[in-house]
Amino acid sequence: MSEPHRYGRYLARHPAWVRLAVILALLMLWEIAARFWIDPMFISPPSRVVASLGELFGTEGVPGALRITFGELAVAFAISVAIGLAVGLAVGLSRFGSRSFMPIILLLYGIPQITILPLFILYFGIGPPSKIAFGVTHGIFPIVVTIAAGVQNIKPILMTAAHSMGANRWQIFRWVIFPHMIPTFFAGMRLGMSGVLLGVLLAELYVSSAGIGYFTQMFTQAFDPAKLLGLISVLAAMAIALNEIVRRAEIHFGRWRME
Amino acid sequence: MSGRRDRRSRLASRAVQLGFVASVVLAWYLATAYGHINRILLPNPVNVWHELKDVLASGEYLPDLRVTLTELAVAFAISCISGVTIGYIISRSAFLIRVFEPLLAGFYSVPVILFLPLYVLFFGLGPESKIALGTTISFFPIVLNTIAGFGYVDKIFITAARSMGASDIQMFRHVLLPAAFPVILTGLRIGFTVALLSILGSETIASLAGLGHHIVSLAEAMEPARMFAYIAFAVAIAVLLNTVVSGLERRARRT
Amino acid sequence: MSTAAPAIRIKDVSHEFGEAGDARFVRALSHTSLDIGRGELLCLIGPSGCGKSTLLNMIGGLMPPTSGTIEVGGKPVRGPMPRDIAFVFQENALFPWCTVLENVKLGMVFQGVPKAEQEERARKSLEAVGLKDFMAHHPAQLSGGMRQRAALARALSLQTEILLMDEPFGALDEQTRMILGEDLSVLLSRSNKTIVFVTHSLGEAVFLADRVAVFSARPGRIKEIIAVDEPHPRNPAFVTTEKFSRLRNTLYELLHDEIRKAVEQSATVGPGE
Repeated sequence: MSEPHRYGRYLARHPAWVRLAVILALLMLWEIAARFWIDPMFISPPSRVVASLGELFGTEGVPGALRITFGELAVAFAISVAIGLAVGLAVGLSRFGSRSFMPIILLLYGIPQITILPLFILYFGIGPPSKIAFGVTHGIFPIVVTIAAGVQNIKPILMTAAHSMGANRWQIFRWVIFPHMIPTFFAGMRLGMSGVLLGVLLAELYVSSAGIGYFTQMFTQAFDPAKLLGLISVLAAMAIALNEIVRRAEIHFGRWRME
Repeated sequence: MSGRRDRRSRLASRAVQLGFVASVVLAWYLATAYGHINRILLPNPVNVWHELKDVLASGEYLPDLRVTLTELAVAFAISCISGVTIGYIISRSAFLIRVFEPLLAGFYSVPVILFLPLYVLFFGLGPESKIALGTTISFFPIVLNTIAGFGYVDKIFITAARSMGASDIQMFRHVLLPAAFPVILTGLRIGFTVALLSILGSETIASLAGLGHHIVSLAEAMEPARMFAYIAFAVAIAVLLNTVVSGLERRARRT
Repeated sequence: MSTAAPAIRIKDVSHEFGEAGDARFVRALSHTSLDIGRGELLCLIGPSGCGKSTLLNMIGGLMPPTSGTIEVGGKPVRGPMPRDIAFVFQENALFPWCTVLENVKLGMVFQGVPKAEQEERARKSLEAVGLKDFMAHHPAQLSGGMRQRAALARALSLQTEILLMDEPFGALDEQTRMILGEDLSVLLSRSNKTIVFVTHSLGEAVFLADRVAVFSARPGRIKEIIAVDEPHPRNPAFVTTEKFSRLRNTLYELLHDEIRKAVEQSATVGPGE
C-alpha cells in the first residue's frame, strides 16, 4: 500500500486529528487576515490577543469583574436547580397539577425575557442581584419542564411491578421514581446551565456602568480589539468549562439509560 | 379515567389557570392602587393599558418595528441559505460529518451573545451588528439539523432506490429531500426563534433603534407605564411570530 | 427443472467484510456456487450470519463479491440492474412521505417509464396484491402485511424477470405470513418470474420453494440443496401432507446444529448478513 494512502486511511479513522487541523487552519486564517488585510482597529490577530492577556488581567477591575461573574453564575445555577427541582417534581407528580400549571409554565417559558431585562435592573440595581435574578429566570424553566416531563415518562409498567410487590408510596418514590429521575435531573441541569449562562451574560453585557459590561464598552469605545477579544475568550472559556462539567456529569450518571 | 371524570378534571384545570392569571392581574392592580409601591417600579395596569392603546393608535411603534423585522428577515435569510447549503455539503460524506458535526455542536454551546461587543466594534451600533449576531446564532441549529436530516436518512430507503436504478438527481429529489425535510424544517424554526431573541437582545444591549432599544430608552426616561406597554407589545409580536412559524412547521410536516 | 441456460449463475463466490487481521473481519460467504433456473423459485435458508442476505445483495448488484462472479441472463453483474432485477426488502422500504400509489410509481419514475404507462402498471400490480382500495393511503396507515403487499406491488410493477426477496415476511406475525405466502404462490404461478427468496422459516421455505438451498453457519457455504417437487400454485392443504412434514424435518435436521453454531458465533463482533 502506498504511503499517502496509509495516511489517508489513518485520518479517515481518526477524525479528531482532522478537526484539530481545521481549527488550526481557521486560527491561521484569522492570524493572517487580521495582520495583513483588516484594519487593526477592528480585529486583532490571535497572537496579539494572547500577548495582551497579561495587560488585560493587569487592568484594574477586570479580574474582579470576572470573579464576580463566576460567582453570579454559580449562585444563579444553584438557585435555579433548587427551585426548578422542587417545582418540577411538584408539577410532574400530580396529574392535576401538571394539567393546570404546565400550560402556564410553557407560556412563560416562551416569552422573550430579554424584553424585561431593563425592569430587572430597575428593580434589583446594577449589582450582582439583578444578574443572578435574570440568570435564575432563564435557568428554572428548562429544569422544571425537563423534570416534570421526566417524572411523567416513567413507564407505568415499572410502577405496576413495584405495586404488585407490595411497595407503598414512599418506597415507590425511593426505589422507582428517584433512581429513574437521576439521568433526567442531570439533563435538566445541563439545560439549566445553558439558560443561566445566557441570562447572567446578557445582564452583565447590558449593564455598562459596572462589571463585565463596563469593560466591554470601554474596550469597544477605545477600539481595542485585542483586549476585547481577550475578555470575550476568557468568558467563553468559562462558559465552555461549566457546560463541559455538567455535560460530563450527565453522561456519567446517566449510564444506565438504554438509549 | 372515565370520560366524565376526565372532563371534570380538565374543566377544573382550566379554572385554576384562569384563576391564577386573574389573581395575578388583580394583585397587580391592588398593589399599585392601594399599596405603597413606587410608581416608577410598578405602574398601574390601567395606565399601562391606556399607554398601550395610545402607542397602537399613533403608530409610534412602526419605525422601530420595521427595524427589528428587517434585521430579523435579513439575518434569517442569510443563515437559512448558508446553513442549508453548507449542511448539505457536509452531509454528503460520513467523514465530513464526523469532522464537522462535533465542531459545530461545540461552537454552538458557547453563548454566542458574547460576540455582540465584537460585532459592535466592527459594524457599529447600526443594524449590521444585529444582523451579524442574528445570523451567527441562527446558523448553527440550521446547519446541524440539515446535516442530521440529510446525513441520517434511513439506509433502507437509499438501498431500495439504488436497487430501482435511481440516478443521483433522482435520489436527491425523491428520497433525500423528502426524508430530510421535516428535520430541516425544525432546524429552521429553531433558527428563527433564536434569531428573533438574539436580535431583541442585541437591540436592548447596544443599539440606536429597534423595539429592544425603545424599551431601554423608555426605562431611562423613567416612563414605566409606556415601557410596560412596549414590553407587552414586543412580547405579543414575538409570540405571534413564533406561533406562526411553529404552525407553518407543523403544517408542512404533516404532508 | 429447465435445461435451458440458467437465469442466475453464481460461480465460486466468496465475501468478506473488513480486512484480514482487523478485529472486525468477517468471512460471510465462502466459495459458493449455484445455478438458478428460469422460472424457478429458490429459497435460501440458514442460520443468522450465514451470508444469505449478502448473497442476495450481490446477485442484485448492490455489492460486489470479494471473489468469484455472478452472471444474470448471461451478463456479469456489475451494479444494480433495475430492468432485470427487482427487490422486496424485509423492513419498511416504502417511502413514508409517499402514498401507496406514489410508492409503486416511483420505481418506474427512476427508469423513465412514460407517465401514462406508470399509472396503468401501478394500478394493475396493486390490484393483483389486493390493495385496490388503499392506493391513496400512506404506509403509516397500513398494517405490516399490507405494507409488504405494497412493496411486492412496487417490485412487480417494474416487470422484471427476476425478483429478489429478502425475508419479506420476517417482521409479520405467523398468521399474516401464512396468508401472504399462499397469495404469493398464486400470484407467481401466473407469471414466469425467477425468484430468490431468503427466509428463516422452515415451513415457509418448503411451502413456497421449488428448491431450497441450506446454508451452513459462518463462513457460509451451501450445505445441501433440497428439491420440493410440487406444482405451483401450492394448495394450502399441502402444509398438512406427509410429504411436507418429511421435507420440513429434513431441513430441521440440516439446520439445527448450524443454528447452534451461529448463536455461539454471535458473541463476536461483526456486520450482519
